[in-house]
Amino acid sequence: MSGLSMETATAATLAGSPRPARHRPPASGISRFVDSGLRWACRGAAATILLMLILPVSVLLIQAWPAVHRFGAGFLVSSEWRANELEIPVRDAAGKIIQKDGENVTTIEPPSFGALPVLYGTAVSAMLALIFAVPFSFAAALFIVRVAPKIKIAGPLSFLIEFLAAIPSLAYGLWGLFVLAPFLATTVEPALISTLGKVPFLSWMFFQDVEIAGATVRRQLPAAGRDMLCGGLVLGIMILPIITAVSRDVLKNVPRAQIEGSLAMGATWWQSCVEMLRYGRAGLFGAVMLGLARAAGETMAVTMVIGNNNQIVLSPLAPAQTMASLLANEFAEATDGLHGSALLYVALILLVMSLLFNIVARYLVVGKNSRTSGAH
Amino acid sequence: MTPAPTSPTSPGTAAPAAAPATEPSMSAMPLVSRPVVGIASPEQSATSFIDAIKAGKPVTSAVHPSLLKADHIVKVDDFQLWYSQNKALHGVTMGFPRSKVTAMIGPSGCGKSTLLRSINRLNDLIDGVRVAGKMTLSGDDVYAPKMDVINLRKRLGMVFQKSNPFPMSIFENVVYGLRIDGEKRKSVLADACESALRAAALWEEVKDRLKGSALGLSGGQQQRLCIARAIAAEPEVLLMDEPCSALDPIATLKIEEFIRSIAGRITVVIVTHNMQQAARVSDNTAFFYLGRLVEYGPTADIFQNPMLPETESYVTGRFG
Ligand SMILES: Nc1ncnc2c1ncn2[C@@H]1O[C@H](COP(=O)(O)OP(=O)(O)O)[C@@H](O)[C@H]1O
Ligand SMILES: [Mg+2]
Repeated sequence: MSGLSMETATAATLAGSPRPARHRPPASGISRFVDSGLRWACRGAAATILLMLILPVSVLLIQAWPAVHRFGAGFLVSSEWRANELEIPVRDAAGKIIQKDGENVTTIEPPSFGALPVLYGTAVSAMLALIFAVPFSFAAALFIVRVAPKIKIAGPLSFLIEFLAAIPSLAYGLWGLFVLAPFLATTVEPALISTLGKVPFLSWMFFQDVEIAGATVRRQLPAAGRDMLCGGLVLGIMILPIITAVSRDVLKNVPRAQIEGSLAMGATWWQSCVEMLRYGRAGLFGAVMLGLARAAGETMAVTMVIGNNNQIVLSPLAPAQTMASLLANEFAEATDGLHGSALLYVALILLVMSLLFNIVARYLVVGKNSRTSGAH
Repeated sequence: MTPAPTSPTSPGTAAPAAAPATEPSMSAMPLVSRPVVGIASPEQSATSFIDAIKAGKPVTSAVHPSLLKADHIVKVDDFQLWYSQNKALHGVTMGFPRSKVTAMIGPSGCGKSTLLRSINRLNDLIDGVRVAGKMTLSGDDVYAPKMDVINLRKRLGMVFQKSNPFPMSIFENVVYGLRIDGEKRKSVLADACESALRAAALWEEVKDRLKGSALGLSGGQQQRLCIARAIAAEPEVLLMDEPCSALDPIATLKIEEFIRSIAGRITVVIVTHNMQQAARVSDNTAFFYLGRLVEYGPTADIFQNPMLPETESYVTGRFG
């Protein structure tokens, strides 16, 4: 209805000669039929999406059930990961191995699985990744929002960031394997060892206590490049684009009045940036959570560079294992039922974790953004 | 601010024909086009001034004599400002008297905020802004290349249209200026916080919740908090851009009371679209139109006895 006809209508009403309402025909039977058909099609599509989420999760649950049932919550705190049975000689009270018919008497230890080393490896590699990526990402986001528009490169820069996010993780993994790991092994780690290696309370970073034939031996770590540090670095590079892109959107939504408010008080450029970060802190935290979810779930690149050692070693210079890299390494050879089930238990934990991270992140980023954009 | 005394002229015809029709540059502008004591002449029609502006001719502001001799803390001389290609200020010349409240009125888009934000150089942030002419704060050239903008802004406080407290405690908001100056002594911060909050008439309401978030305050309280934040740093001039436009009448009244209470101690420049507010709080009023200063004088004169018929029709609500 155009403004004009409304005006005429009002004018006519005011003039005292009300215009009769136009009679409009009801919707035809065919259009009603098509309408209900389309409505059901939309419902079906929505249900399919839900199903696509529920199906894999339930399959995962069913397959992981034997391990869940067997190990329960203890799975999370056990650090043993042994797919084979173990024969242990039985000893008498004096500690002598009991023999019968010339053979050692043994008991059979069934295979045992625990996720603590991969939980540890995932947490530490993701944390390292955040330590590398977050300062860079925030600084880059600030640059894109505060500086780049002035020199007209905000567009290309944003495109580049999004392009980086689209590079397959294999490419990062190959680069990590063939460039970063050798560089760490030949240059960075020797430098670390020759400098920090002499600091007494940092010795945990360079030495490992190994049990050999019942005796504890202190051994220097090989510092071979393919270790937790390398995994964390590659992950950090991989999550940089997503954290940068989301923080950029968060910072873009900081009201001008907030920036001007601090500048008008005599804040320096950096001090006003701090106010922007403060104002967007919930959204920025969400960006970090998204990055964390990425880092925790990333598989290919990490498997290639982290060294794949399913043990907890405190030093970042030791090879480690994450949940995703454990799955990638062992899934093909997990013939034994319990082994496969335990791997799926790990997968289930990973899924629940990423889901939680993503929900928290979405809540913080989307919630905060809609709230702030509603305010101006 | 020492215009050549010229004979009273009708503003619309003051510009010599030689003046270029568009964008008269500062150097090309002859002295006579500088503001002079304009006396409304009887033959002046209500539209002559506005016609001249619309024709792009330079016009002469009518400045009341008392304002020519005043002790001006901020002086603006033939100040012009462009947003890229659009000229928002066309050679404004005026001074803001020390320790007085000056109101800037005029229809929306006439350049009031632009002039206000030129004083603390907030317009620097906007792409494509260019300025010409001169502006000084206590004698220091605001736009001199060697002017340290950060220090300039530390000397000026600003209150915005929409309150913009920082997402931190009430206390931290008030002492923000001192914090960024590196002040760490607890007692100094506490004293500054209390006296600023008292001056902004907020102390009694928040003294028990200074550690609470500033965002928990009401709109009016938030705006008074922003005022406290601005004055805690003891600025030479307090710039206010329609500080009450988002507030209810009672909150507005409290802010007007604050302005009256601070008058005489601090220079206030307030932009307002509310004529009654200008009449209530200000000592002097400047009327702007289409990027020009039209008339500037003591508030009572502007509202009751303006020189120009244009001013009269604006303040009586007949146009704008
Ligand atoms: N950031 C900006 N970019 C471009 N033009 C602007 C900007 N801000 C204001 N203007 C223009 O400058 C003129 C004066 O605006 P402003 O000073 O905000 O007016 P007022 O505060 O008197 O309502 C208007 O024509 C407006 O469109
Ligand atoms: Mg304005």
